[in-house]
Amino acid sequence: MPTYQLTVNGRLRHVDAEPDTPLLWILRDTLGLTGTKFGCGQGVCGSCTIHLDGQAVKSCQTRLKDVAEHTIITVEGLSKDGSHPIQKAWLAEDVAQCGYCQPGMIMTAAALLKHKAHPTDGDIDGAFAGHICRCGTYPRIRKAVKRAAGGAK
Amino acid sequence: MTNRRDFLRVTGAVGAGLVLGLHLDAKSKAGTAQFRPNAFLALRPDGTVCISVPKTEMGQGVRTSLPLIVAEELDLDWSRIEVVTALPGPEFKAMQTGGSTSVSSTWTPLRKAGAAAREMLKAAAAAQWNIGVDQCRTENGFVLGPRGRKLSYGHLAEAAAKQPVPKDPMLKQPADYRLLGKRTPRFDGPAIVTGKAVFGLDVRRPGQRFAAVLRCPVPGGQPRAWDETKGLAVQGVKAVVKVPTGLAVVADSTWAAFKGREALATSTTWDEGVGKDFSTLALEAKMRAALMGPADEARRVGDAEKALAAATNVLEAEYAFPYQAHATVEPMNATVHIQGEGVETWTGSQSPNEVQERTAAAVGLKTEQSKVNVTLLGGGFGRRLGTDFSTEAALVAKAAGGGPIQVVWDREDDFCHDLHHPATLHRMRAGLDGSGAISAWAHRIAGPSILRSWMGGQKSPDQASAEAGGALDIPYAIPAITVDFAEVEAPTPLGWLRAVEIVPNVFARECFLDEVAHATGKDPLQLRLDLLGDQDIVKFGQDEADLRRLKKVLQVATGKAGWGRKLTAGRGLGLACHAYDCRTYVAQVAEVSVVKGRLRIHKVTCAVDCGIVVNPWGLEAQVEGGIAFGLSALFTQITWEQGRTVQTGFQDFPILRLPDMPAVEIHVVLSREAPSGMGEPPVPLAIPAVLNAIFAATGKRIRRVPLDGESLT
Repeated sequence: MPTYQLTVNGRLRHVDAEPDTPLLWILRDTLGLTGTKFGCGQGVCGSCTIHLDGQAVKSCQTRLKDVAEHTIITVEGLSKDGSHPIQKAWLAEDVAQCGYCQPGMIMTAAALLKHKAHPTDGDIDGAFAGHICRCGTYPRIRKAVKRAAGGAK
Repeated sequence: MTNRRDFLRVTGAVGAGLVLGLHLDAKSKAGTAQFRPNAFLALRPDGTVCISVPKTEMGQGVRTSLPLIVAEELDLDWSRIEVVTALPGPEFKAMQTGGSTSVSSTWTPLRKAGAAAREMLKAAAAAQWNIGVDQCRTENGFVLGPRGRKLSYGHLAEAAAKQPVPKDPMLKQPADYRLLGKRTPRFDGPAIVTGKAVFGLDVRRPGQRFAAVLRCPVPGGQPRAWDETKGLAVQGVKAVVKVPTGLAVVADSTWAAFKGREALATSTTWDEGVGKDFSTLALEAKMRAALMGPADEARRVGDAEKALAAATNVLEAEYAFPYQAHATVEPMNATVHIQGEGVETWTGSQSPNEVQERTAAAVGLKTEQSKVNVTLLGGGFGRRLGTDFSTEAALVAKAAGGGPIQVVWDREDDFCHDLHHPATLHRMRAGLDGSGAISAWAHRIAGPSILRSWMGGQKSPDQASAEAGGALDIPYAIPAITVDFAEVEAPTPLGWLRAVEIVPNVFARECFLDEVAHATGKDPLQLRLDLLGDQDIVKFGQDEADLRRLKKVLQVATGKAGWGRKLTAGRGLGLACHAYDCRTYVAQVAEVSVVKGRLRIHKVTCAVDCGIVVNPWGLEAQVEGGIAFGLSALFTQITWEQGRTVQTGFQDFPILRLPDMPAVEIHVVLSREAPSGMGEPPVPLAIPAVLNAIFAATGKRIRRVPLDGESLT
């Protein structure tokens, strides 16, 4: 098996695995970073969203061989202590219910704000259209994104 | 000797502080059984407080709401509380979590436990200060005495443990609440937003392996022939073992297990079993026939058939609701380790006691040799009341040398081998007298029985009433009512889905009532108020609904939504209401528009009376989420062809997403009644409110779910 070199949450990691292994399973099973969730494995629920070179991507649709030498941030690496503005806004609006889809939502929200400091409702619709929350936390997600955007002024 | 008043006891060892065990089954009769506390409250000498929660957390907020009830009576410092989920066993025998009952079933014992501990702390402080107990009061983790004296609970815990446990401690008045009724963020929030929260799939044990089970696409089918070398040829695969549900591929990673299973599948042939020809198309024909055949009565008032025969006019309509999937975002999974004389399981379950028992039985051990660690649940909605996935994992672990093994279902497994909610057809008839008043109401439900499937194929004497919730408890004063259930068999395993049969039954009931209103030229709100009449209470067997509370939520929801206001063309308001289990009163008004056949749900206004509100944030989350859950079912369905589900993933099961979520406006009718429940009550009203609004907007009456886009053009 080939060895790949990745930077995950600021740490250089060496991974021996098949080249077509989805990044999701490298994170969860090889590196023990279980904050990134498995929901569908088909790229339609958004639970596995991470940042690849600052872009929100679905890690279940990202192959190991394509991310070597790239920079990966997972929910565990978003901040040292839960102090990212999105994490704070999520708590201030008490967004989560069961919480399972939330790391993916949070990674999408953080990427959205990075690219657009003051997103419109349409921007928010577009960013989260690829996510499913079966508990229905959507109204609070919208509020939390707006709260974090306001705080970033 | 123990009696029912002896619900509390000091159970901690010396040095542990004040540890109270309490018995939560408030309904149990006086007994002679050994005292078995089933919840614990520990005030430690260091000032921290640990509360064990005897229900499972699936997003409904029990790990916040139940501790809040204790903390209120005990005047705890909320910031120093630790919450743990209990372990099922002889102490915790009733952990099953469902039916929106967690708060209502624990409300009184948790308050009494908190109040008893408060009295014991005050008594300990009074003894230390040598003053009367009545000179002491409590505040935020301290006992306060005269002239600024102050002792922390941690300091007093040991001495308090030596005080007698009061049998009937004085409970606070709602006016004195400091925590209840105020927005408290959920306890697990910080762990969730940092990715530290542990769900079933996040369990990692030393030496753990992963397994995926190759299952017959027809539930109940069995592999006939397979070539295990195909699976073993995949890098990382360690074993292929036969289990009752199929062939388990055991590997050193989840991905290797999935790849191995895929390879194994190419070599496998199936005996598809008795379900192989099942289709929802054929089922629907049988259900339609059953609408006209014999049925089991669920409720009868007067003689509805006679009244229908005598009616001036009879309105009749057929309503249809499809099979549905739970579609929790976390697929089913369990991790099992068999070691020597014990089996340990880690899983997100709504039925921890049943998991303990059935896992033990599956591997040939006794219940007391089985330990179950309940993780957070990545969605429950009734799916995780089932123990199929934990028992399967135990059998995989046993066949593969003991484990620890995590059995992971993928999305397709989860859709195809769900314990689905079954389809139903509804024949609705209303008799009208010469003045247009409703003289008779007949609601026939035809479909498979969830209860029979749950009871292993046995028919329960309660079957008809169990399948008729929301139909039999129609709150309207109609002189002749009949509600019955005609069972139609289906070979697929069925289970409970959030609000269960109340969803289709209230959909049919509230939409058909809207039809009657329009047919008789009455306003749908006025018709409901007229039918609720001057009666205060209506009885359904042992239960009784307070119609004053139902009328109030109707008036509040419609008032806030601007019922009766003039709307632009293509826009409409629709209404639905229900007294959920005669406990939680909900009314919803939906505002929709239909422009060129495209539906937009702009807003749902919801009024609710669920008694005293423990945590308004929790209540509001359940209303928002319940409406999203209810609305999803307007667009989703599971259909069957040749014994297989046609839908295999989220791509063909369009759960509501953020861009389509309507605004939700919530109005709580304040009440001093004991709290009821909020997880399910908001769900069943979303569909009828929206469909009634579509009629108001377009004149098109939709009687079939899921909504077919073409029916609006």
